[in-house]
This record gives sequence, C-alpha cells and structure tokens, in this order.
Amino acid sequence: MKASAGELAWGTAWKIAWRDLHASWIKFTFVVIAVALGVGSLTGVRSFSLVFQRTLLAQARTLMAADLSARDFHPYTDEQLAALDRLEARGADHTLVTETVSMASTATNPDPVLVSLKAVDPAKYPYYGTVVLASGKRLRDVLHDNTAVVSEEFLLRDHSHVGDTLHVGNKYFTIADVLRSEPDRISSSFSIGPRVMITQSVLPATGLVRPGSRASERMLFRLMPQAAQHGMDISTLRKEVETILPQAQITDYREANPALAHGLERSTAMLTLVSLVTMVLSAIGVAMAMHAHLQQRLETIAIMKALGARSTQVMRIYLLQTLFLGVVGALLGVAAGFGVARAFPVLLQRLVSLPVEGELALSPVVIGLCTGVLTTLLFTLPPLLEIRSFRPLRILRRNVEQEQGTRLANIFPRDPVQLVSIAIILIGLAAIASTLTESTMVGEWFAGGLLGVLVVLLLAASGLLAAVRWMMQWQRRRFSPMVRQGLVNLQRPGNQSAAVLTALGLGVMLMMTIYFVQHAIVQDLQMNSGSPTVPNVFLVDVGADELAGVEKLIAAQPAVKGSLETIPIVSARILSLDGVPTAQLRIQHYPKRMLRSTALTWADAPPAGEKIVDGKWWNKTSEMPQVAVSESTAKALHLKVGSNIGFATGEKTFVAAIVAIVRADGDHIFARSQFILPSRVLAGQPVVWYGAFHADPLRVGEVEKSLFAAYPTVTVINMADVLEVVRKVVDQIAMILRFVAGFVLLAGGIILASSVTATRFQRVREVAILKSLGALRAQVIRMLSIEFLLLGGIAGLAGVVCALALSSVLLHRLDVSFHPSWSVSVGAMMAAAILASVTGWLASYRILQQKPLEVLREE
Amino acid sequence: MPSETHAIIAVRGLKKTLRSGSTSLEILKGIDLSIPSRQFVVVMGASGSGKSTLLGLLAGLDAPSSGTVTIDGEEISRLSEDALAQIRATKLGFVFQSYQLIPTLTALENVLLPHELHASDDGKPRAQELLASVGLAERMHHYPVQLSGGEQQRVALARAFMLRPPVILADEPTGNLDSATGARVMELLMELNRREGTTLVLVTHDAGLAAHAERKILLRDGRIEADELCQPLAQNVGADA
Repeated sequence: MKASAGELAWGTAWKIAWRDLHASWIKFTFVVIAVALGVGSLTGVRSFSLVFQRTLLAQARTLMAADLSARDFHPYTDEQLAALDRLEARGADHTLVTETVSMASTATNPDPVLVSLKAVDPAKYPYYGTVVLASGKRLRDVLHDNTAVVSEEFLLRDHSHVGDTLHVGNKYFTIADVLRSEPDRISSSFSIGPRVMITQSVLPATGLVRPGSRASERMLFRLMPQAAQHGMDISTLRKEVETILPQAQITDYREANPALAHGLERSTAMLTLVSLVTMVLSAIGVAMAMHAHLQQRLETIAIMKALGARSTQVMRIYLLQTLFLGVVGALLGVAAGFGVARAFPVLLQRLVSLPVEGELALSPVVIGLCTGVLTTLLFTLPPLLEIRSFRPLRILRRNVEQEQGTRLANIFPRDPVQLVSIAIILIGLAAIASTLTESTMVGEWFAGGLLGVLVVLLLAASGLLAAVRWMMQWQRRRFSPMVRQGLVNLQRPGNQSAAVLTALGLGVMLMMTIYFVQHAIVQDLQMNSGSPTVPNVFLVDVGADELAGVEKLIAAQPAVKGSLETIPIVSARILSLDGVPTAQLRIQHYPKRMLRSTALTWADAPPAGEKIVDGKWWNKTSEMPQVAVSESTAKALHLKVGSNIGFATGEKTFVAAIVAIVRADGDHIFARSQFILPSRVLAGQPVVWYGAFHADPLRVGEVEKSLFAAYPTVTVINMADVLEVVRKVVDQIAMILRFVAGFVLLAGGIILASSVTATRFQRVREVAILKSLGALRAQVIRMLSIEFLLLGGIAGLAGVVCALALSSVLLHRLDVSFHPSWSVSVGAMMAAAILASVTGWLASYRILQQKPLEVLREE
Repeated sequence: MPSETHAIIAVRGLKKTLRSGSTSLEILKGIDLSIPSRQFVVVMGASGSGKSTLLGLLAGLDAPSSGTVTIDGEEISRLSEDALAQIRATKLGFVFQSYQLIPTLTALENVLLPHELHASDDGKPRAQELLASVGLAERMHHYPVQLSGGEQQRVALARAFMLRPPVILADEPTGNLDSATGARVMELLMELNRREGTTLVLVTHDAGLAAHAERKILLRDGRIEADELCQPLAQNVGADA
C-alpha cells in the first residue's frame, strides 16, 4: 500500500500542532498575555463607548430635560414669542432656560465668586428628570423670585450656608437649598464656577442679561398629551421650531445629545487606534515568538519535509498554532476588557457627570475577538512563510544554516514573497483601522503612520545597537568581563534585540508624547497668564453706560499693571457669504456655530496687536459697510479680500465687503475678534463691552471685590480660574490616554519577556559555562542585569527621542511653545531601564537555579 | 558494473560544490551509478568522502551543482520543492543515524506521521503491525525521550516502511548505537527490507555491515573508487559483529 499523495487533514494538523504547543506552552504564555492586552484594551474602550451611547439614548429626554431643545444666543423677537405661544396651544409646551456666568457674593464673605448662573421657570423646569435638592423638597416649592439654590461647591468656596443672603447682579436672594444634581447639567453651556440657580422671572431684574451679552438661552419643549390631537409629534414640532427660530441650534431626544455623542465618537476612534497599537505590538510579539519557535523546530520541520511533507502542509500546522494562540489571547482579552470597561466610568467621573455602568457589550466583544485573531494572523504571515525556506537537508547535516543576509537585509527583507506579506499586513491593518474608525482616510494614515514610526524606531534601535557593537569592537578590553558579557549578550543570536527595543520604545514614545503635550499646553497657558504684557483678567458684559466708570475704577487699582483694554461687541448673525445664503452653506463644510451666531466689533484704525496680512484698512470717516476679518475666520469661511458678507444685527441687515485680512498677536483683547467694521456702520446697535487687563495674580481678588461693589452686573473672569478648569480637563484627558497607552508599554514589556523566554536555553547554557568556570552568582546577576538595563535604557532613549520629535510637531501645529524637561526625559529612560530589568528577571530568574552539571551533561 | 535495466535509481555526472564566502569545496566530482530494483547497496568511504552528500542528493534533500538523479524513471534534480516532497512521500523511506523522531509525538504517532501527511484512510493497523514487528508493541505510546537509542531507531525503521516505499535510504543507521543494539537494528532493517521487497541504499563505514550487502560502492574524495557486486553473508548480523 503506497499511499497516493493527499492533503494533511486539518484534524491531523491540529493534533500535531496541539502536541507541539503542549510541549512549549511556557514560551507562549507571554504572547497570549500580549494578545489579551490588545483585545482587552480594544474591547473595554469600545464597550464603554457603546454603553455610554446607549445610556445617552435611553436617558435622552432626561439629559435634555425636554423632548426638544433650541439653543440660541440672540434675544427672541415678539413675533417669535407669539409663534411659540401658538405652538403651545397645539400641545407643545415650552419654557426658557438661561445660562451665563456672573459674580456672586454673600454677606459672610464679600469676596465675589465667579458662578455659572442658571435661570429657570420652576413651575415647568425640568420637563423630564428631577432637580435633586439636599432637603429633598421639590424645586418649585423652594425656588422663588427672592430665593436661590446653590451647589455645595459654592457654599464651600464662599464659606456660606443655607439661609445666607446671596448678592447676584442687582438683586439679593436668600439661599434656600443646596443643589445636589440637575438632569440637564450635561447639556449646559458654562461650567466655570459653581452653580447658582434663580428663577427666570427675576433674571431681568438682576441686570445680567442685556442685548449683546453672551448668555446662552435654551428653549425647552415638551409634547403634551393633547399634541397628538393637533397632529403634533416630535418631527412636526422640530420642523415648526426650525421655521420659527431659524438661527437656533435644535436638538431632539432622538439624537441623544449630538455634541456629546460626536465627541464620544471621536474619542472612541482615537482610543481605538491607541488600542490597535497595543494589538499590533502584541501581534508583533506573537510573530517574534513564532519565529523563535520555528527556529527551534528547524529539525522537526526538516524531518517532516524529509518524510514528504510539503511546505504548505507544515505551514498549516503552525498556522493552527497561531490561530489557537490568537483565540486564547483574545478570549482572555475579553475578560480583561471587562476590567477596562469598569475602569472608564471611574476615570471619567470628573469629566462627564453621567452614570454609566461598566459592562461589556456583545458587538465590541465580537469586534475585539475578530480583530485580535486577524491581527495576530496578519503579523505571523512572515514567520510562517519562512517555513518555505527551511531545508530538509538539515536532517543529514546539522550545520546547514538557513541563509543569512546582511544585518540591514535582515531588517528589511528583499524576498518578494516576504515583501508581499508586508504589503498584505499594511493593507490589512489599514482595513482594520478603517473599519473600526469608519474612515478610510484614518485607516490609511494609521497604517502609514505606524509603519513610519516603527521604521524610525527600528532604525534608531538598530543604530544604537550598532553603536554598542562598534564600541565593543574597539573598547572591549576596558570593560570588566561581566559588563562585557552583558553588552555582548545584546547581540545574542535569536535575541531579536532590535524588535524588542522597537516595541518597548513605542510604548515609551506614546507615554512620553502624552506627557510632553499635556504639560506643554498647561505650561503655555500658565506662562501666558503670568506675562505682565498679557491680560490675565477679563471683564464680561460691561454696559455702555458703565464703561467710563469701570475704566476709571480699574485705573485706580494698585494691583492693575498697565491700562484696561476694551472692545465693543455687537451681537450679529451671518446671512450670506458672497451672496450664498447661510441655509445653503450649512449643509457644506462650514462651521455651523459661526454661521448661527457671531460677534462684530469696530475700530477705525488697526487695533493694537492686529497686523494686516492682506488688503488695507479703511478711511477713518468711512460709512461704507466694510470689514476686516481675522485670518483664521477667513480660512474657516473660505473668504478673501473682495468677498462679501451679509450680516444681521438686531433689525438691521447689510452686506459688507472684506477689505483686509488681519492676524492677531494674541496679547491683546482684539485677538478674540473675528469681524472688525467701521464704527459708523455699527452706530446705534445694542452693544456690550468686554475688557481685559493684567493684574498682580495674587491681588486679583482686590480688583474683583472693588468692581463687584460698584458694578455687580460686570463679570470678572480670572485666567487663573479658567486655567484651573483647563488643567483639570487636560489632566483628565491625559489620564485616560495614559491608561490606554499604558497597555502599549505593557505589551512592549511582555514582548521583552517573551524574547527572553525564547532565548532561555542559550542563557541557561551560557550561565552553566560561566558557573563551571567559577563565576559567582552575583557576577551572573550583574551580567544579566546589565543586558536588561541596557535594553530598557536604549529603548527609553529611542522612545524619548521620538516622543520629543512627535511632541514638537504636534505642539507646533497647536501653536504651543515646547520646552521639554530634560530631567523628566532622563527619568523616563531610567524608568524604561528598570521596567525592562524587572520584566527580564521575571522571565528568567529560574536560570540561576539550574546546576551547571545538569545543563552541560545534556549537551 | 551492474546492468542499468530496471534501474530504480540512476545517477549521471553528479557533482556537488559547496560555497562558503569566496571559497568553494567540490564534495562530489562526477558520480555515475545505477541501482536496480530490490538491490541492497552499501555506500562506504572515509569521513568527508561525500557519502552523506550523495544520499542527500538521491533523496532530493539537496540540489546537485550539475548532473541528474532519476528515481523510478523520474528525473528529480530540477523539481520544485513540492514535487520533491511528493517523490519523498511516494518513493523513498529514510533511516537516519540520529533517529530524527519528532519529540512531541509518541512512537505510534511518529510512525503514523507519513501516512497522516499523505493518505486519508486509517493507517493505524499498519503502524501498529510495523511497531510490533520491530518489537515495540508494548511501547507504542511512549515518547522518544522515554525510549532507548535502539528503540528510537526501531521506531524510525517502522516509520521508514510505513508507506511501502520502493526505496529505503539509510544513513549510518547504527552509528549512534552500541554494537549489540546496532546488530539487532540492522537485522530488523534487512528483515523488513526483504519482507517489503524494497531497494536499500545504506551509507556506512562499518565493514561488518557492508558484508551483508549485495553490492558495495566505495567513495573516495568525491569519486567512486570501487563498485562491486558481492555475495552477502547470512542475515544474522549479530553473529558477524
């Protein structure tokens, strides 16, 4: 019976694969953990995102406190209010919620506190959800025209209590209760300062809201039971409101907070990509382990080939092994993903106040499993294809070596099949990233960018290793034997030092880039606010009748350095750009918010800090509707000198020709203006003034107190407070990024451990020989420690250098100055060295326990 | 010189040169030979004479620098790797000096492996029968590491005959064994060879083993120095050893 050549059955291949795996499971433990890390990170991030979206959708009405919300920055006209009343008669009730920032103080502490003020009609607000008060009472029973409810934070900062008198604008209130939570806090416009809530009916009496002021108004709508009788549902209501309030930003409960959902989508995409980096590293780890495994199986493969096995049959065996490792790692990753999903609500609690359960959702689990297995298979293509080149002749001559190219050729393969496999990996990776982020462009950039970063890191790591090799060539006699051995070990055959360095370096690079960018942003803000030439205190909503008095008061303040800069603000809407109505532009790539509402200012000569980059300024006496546009606004709206803009200010509409494009230096208040017009064009329009000055940061309180006493409706914003809010947000975002990027670093460590395990037999033999030659245990420990410390140190160096380069590019694009901390950079390198050392020892401590004779006798 | 009629192995002008950097070493310098079916041939020679290289070329494990090798009428020197694998599977069985068993497979699984690679029917009865015939019926579920050298080589013998190949190539099959164990292994090899009716090409430098062959080829410095037919001794190898 001479069998005809057939196919190796999958079952048989699996049997062989399983036995082989069973004999080498320790070697693969680390790679399974690495895959688990990647899948865990991806599954956790996407699960949390999905559960968050579901929560948004399930609680959409509560989070909006209404069925529909229309946000506006303009006062309503009488016609609009009449039309809204007619809607009410058809079953669509409405109520106005106004939010702004203001100063507030109590008798116990006359120093004013910047607060987020909210005015509501407690008889109607909230339509859905509940305002929770400390007393347990209902809002409508507590909030009246002479009372206010305040958050716990206000009481703490102001050292005041329930029952104290609160001074807001031109009115005094009794603090009636402590606000625990409000359902629509997530939909709020302002989050600077603690919350103070008053009634809508008393708001005009405070004098805080006037034409042109930047208060945000949300008209909330609720469909009453009788709405159906009038043929009114959420779709018809939305259409009606869009007609009545064309400039408003309208959201209904079916959209589940589009701004937040959009932000969530973008964050999920970014964190998904970071998770994908972990997964790629894990897959590289599997590929490296599989390469090392195959090198140790050269003889087994040669036997199989000598027995007539075709390369494809042998590849089938090791493909099944890879698949198994991928699946086991991915399954463990799903379990780890549960932990990640549970960690996110804790990490996000200060950023988003929405109760989200940390649970796993099915689709991210399936996506995580598939991505984990697919990525692992993609990256093990090259080692599996190596099987083709394994020669069966090895069975007769042990010293038959596989073909070895130059070092550079080993890094960049020239075999066409290997090159095709690399192209397949890149295309596959781009496809995975595109699918996960739902953007082909992101996918392509991710694959290309990652390839670029890996190549740069690989070259950097190879260069540093070459430097060590060169040094050893010329200076080896200068080192003690153990140091020399530690250095030489970096070049150990099969050590894959360059790949390990790349993996560890990538982790260090990501962590350090996040650190550098986070600190540079905060530092830049701090430096700017500390500079005596840059304003650090801003005045908001100064009435035209108050301006002269405010200027005089500020000039008399000893804490104020320099003079008060002021800017008039006229609230406006853009009606058209170059004759095209904004309704048509909104569906194109134009910033919708800018088209809905904008602010105009005037100046008859170029203001301080403004530089004309195109065109020229108008004549001082000009009455022609002309406009100078800031460079960034012109870019966003695709405008140039000669373009026309149609504006509406109050009842007046006009078309202004662009005569100049200006660039601000950022040190003056006009830097915030987008459209500057001749004063005569805006004459007679409702105007509020903003002011800015620089004060001694330690004495801003004095100025606030004096201003509040004389002008309680003027809001003072101290940059230090804003900075604190920004810092908290940046820190929170950085913490989340660092949490996910931490998995990348961990994957790098795991790859190192895997590589150490793969070369364990060589290490055991070396240690046995050294011990037989009289080496002390401490000397051996020193030798291995030097190797691990060097690996980590070089990876840290490559990672930090790449992080510095990447951070400077990113920060340059953000227009933020970058002054890297060298002590932190050195600290990061040392931390990487310690991490590598600990990981290396965890993977190889048993080496020291082996007796030399046991090892050498087996030779 | 033996007749070329019914030659199952035919070699013409076979040369093999190994290159290492700028230096090259000619291992085989032009071999011509023809082996008829069912013949027991011994290839002898000193270390470095080219015995193992010749065996590797006959097995298609290596490609010649020039010349041709024909196995059962098929010229194999320029075949692709997959086609060579097919030849090895269908026409050749191997026995190696260092046994070359797969350490993660049991004795039975090692013997079954060629069958699993190439056939779809149940090969287990044949594998068990072969293991029993080499005296390992009780040890078929042991792993190589649990077997002695002689036992491992007996497993390798059983594996070589698993797919009833017309040619068995053996490279120093007793080289790693003590003389008594080696003799027992050689007895089994010749017995299986006779029973299965195969052509046996055995590489050795053991003159004792060569005495049992029908034909003796002597290699020196990459050339055939002598090729003679001889009268084989009795099959009891141990008696001569």
